Amino acid sequence: MDAGAGGGGRNGRVGIRDSVVGNNQGPRPERGGNGPAVEGDIVKALLWLSGAIDWCNEKLGFVTNLLVLIAVLISAGNAMSRYAFNLSSNAWLEVQWYMFALIVMYGASYTLRRNEHVRVEIFYLMLSERAQLWLDLICTILFLLPVCLLLAYLSWPFFKLAYDTNEWSQNAGGLIRWPIKFVLPSGFVLLALQGLSEIIKRIAAIEGLAKVDAHYERPLQ
Amino acid sequence: MIPIEWMPPLMFGGLVLFMLIGYPVAFSLAALGLTFGFIAIHEGFFTLDFLQAIPSRVFGNVLSNELLLAIPFFTFMGSVLERCGLAEDMLDSMGQLFGPVRGGLGYSVILVGFILGAITGTVAAQVIAMALISMPVMMRYGYNMRYTTGVLAASGTITQLVPPSLVLIVLADQLGKSVGDMYLGAWGPSVFQIVLFAAYTFVLGIIKPDHLPPVPKEARTLTGWALWKKCLMGIIPSAVLIFVVLGTMMLGLTTPTEAGAMGAVGAIVLAVMHHKEFSRAGRIILYAGLVACALGIVVDLLNWPNIVFRFAFAIVCAAIIVLCLEAARIAELRSLIKQAYETTMRITAMVAFILIGSTCFSVVFLGVNGEPWLEHMLTSLPGGAWGFLAFINIFIFFLAFFLDFFEIAFIIVPMIAPVAQHVLSPIVGADAALIWFGVILCVNMQTSFMHPPFGFALFYLRGVAPKEVKSSDIYWGALPWVGLQLVMVALVMALPILVTGLLGGPAKDATKIQIEVPLPEQIPLDLK
Repeated sequence: MDAGAGGGGRNGRVGIRDSVVGNNQGPRPERGGNGPAVEGDIVKALLWLSGAIDWCNEKLGFVTNLLVLIAVLISAGNAMSRYAFNLSSNAWLEVQWYMFALIVMYGASYTLRRNEHVRVEIFYLMLSERAQLWLDLICTILFLLPVCLLLAYLSWPFFKLAYDTNEWSQNAGGLIRWPIKFVLPSGFVLLALQGLSEIIKRIAAIEGLAKVDAHYERPLQ
Repeated sequence: MIPIEWMPPLMFGGLVLFMLIGYPVAFSLAALGLTFGFIAIHEGFFTLDFLQAIPSRVFGNVLSNELLLAIPFFTFMGSVLERCGLAEDMLDSMGQLFGPVRGGLGYSVILVGFILGAITGTVAAQVIAMALISMPVMMRYGYNMRYTTGVLAASGTITQLVPPSLVLIVLADQLGKSVGDMYLGAWGPSVFQIVLFAAYTFVLGIIKPDHLPPVPKEARTLTGWALWKKCLMGIIPSAVLIFVVLGTMMLGLTTPTEAGAMGAVGAIVLAVMHHKEFSRAGRIILYAGLVACALGIVVDLLNWPNIVFRFAFAIVCAAIIVLCLEAARIAELRSLIKQAYETTMRITAMVAFILIGSTCFSVVFLGVNGEPWLEHMLTSLPGGAWGFLAFINIFIFFLAFFLDFFEIAFIIVPMIAPVAQHVLSPIVGADAALIWFGVILCVNMQTSFMHPPFGFALFYLRGVAPKEVKSSDIYWGALPWVGLQLVMVALVMALPILVTGLLGGPAKDATKIQIEVPLPEQIPLDLK
């Protein structure tokens, strides 16, 4: 399941594009006219958008992946140097949870793209593949998009206040605080964008324009 | 239009409904919470400003929560360890050591399950690793199939309860208790649990001797000193790693989070040691590091000049760095570590988002007076505190059929924690009440991995078991062990001393705590 995590995304994206091109080039010359061509262009544009969003979140995912390792090393190093050499500072402590915040808020869209947010799958697994696509589509439109946009809206003043007051950590030697508060609105917006990309992919899959790997497997614990 | 008293039960009903739809829990929860938030705004129970509490709580309780940082660290540690072959070596040598005893392979699985549980905490890894190694051996020597599958699944889930389990960290966070106390409370029940499992194996061996026959001595590939050496080679590094994680935490040298990070680095070192491409120079540096570490501890104990201690410790740090570089050099380990941190990132984001979703829910739930409603309902149960405990446990037991522990810990536990504090304080004292409660829940939630047919331990087992193992064997095999775990729940409820026995005492060395059976004399005085 985890193997080839790096390359898988790129292949998946190319796969979608290829099949779209294939599907569009087939019927278009036969039908002729202006309408379908425009429609085809829209489909193409939407799938391009979805691909672009996936690409961005994939890159961000790469960074957040690395942050896990860096956070581990910083935390262990900080503990050891504090014990042995009395060397430590609040900045090193704070940077650890800054990284955690980045992992959570920016990693969530990557996780969504991989379909690895945990579900209660008792009934979900009984559905046919097509029904699963429909369920994902409807729930993404009804649940995920409004929730993320609303949370982004709600967290904007929270960030804005910190930014306007140029907030710093209250701990001695702490870090500047407002940039990390920016991950809240920006993370929710990214998640909403990823939701948009998932919607496009699900519609394309339902219409038979592209193949989407919507396979769900419960994350290992 | 809608009276405010209706809101909490409606939200509760909606919770069940929304979860069962099958959309990712994090987003369903958030959507449910915010929908009711808007209904409440429409009905005039509060204004939009009230929902501003959500981002600040998400930031304060989730993102800047140093304790939750332990989730990626421990997950990473487990993820490295599950792939480095430690479990395999230990099971092989222990199986050979105990094999000739009746039920010996069963004992070895239980014991290794416990040791692995004390190092890391992922059920999946443990069940899969143990089943791959031990199942074929147990089948070859004619062990009863149902016993085999049951003992493997149950021993894999022990890890949930044995410190440094992630469940305990998450519960400690949600219950507002210190992780160290939670660990102290969990030792008694976890030791008791393996004793119970071993006792079941022993009794089964007497009642049905042909279910778990002894392995003929000739089957050993190792004998005498070589066998002992292999056993020790598995146990000693594990013991060191247990000390690195639990010992440093209990001695107050590190926070639980840092202990997780130390464990993760330790796991990388262990993986390097276990790898066949580990170079000779690296081995020498490893020994130098170990000697320096021993020296450092002695110097620290003798209060020798600080400079010697620092020198020794610098060597230890250098050795660790060299070993980590060694890990980066070996291609196989590099990809292992890469896979580990990628998996870790996704699990971390997934888990934290459940918490974000449940924050949306609980802010609104509090806003419509959900807490008094719940408290009134739970305290009006017949039977007082025991009625409350029985109800909650039955509730969680059934909830565990379709929710896993993160969801239960993040959604249900915060709602019932204040009531539990209030109701249970008279029995075990105010300080210990939530720890006792948390450990009971933890033992209870273990069963969620074992319920046929949805239990995840069984699911993993099905995935790796050979074809001739029938699914019905796996399901029926799990039942007695679910029963044993329920007996454990009842025991922990009936004997709070199992949990509270170690609490309140002076901080002890973790390696001692492990073998200590809680004694009645250790009851904190405030109980009387």
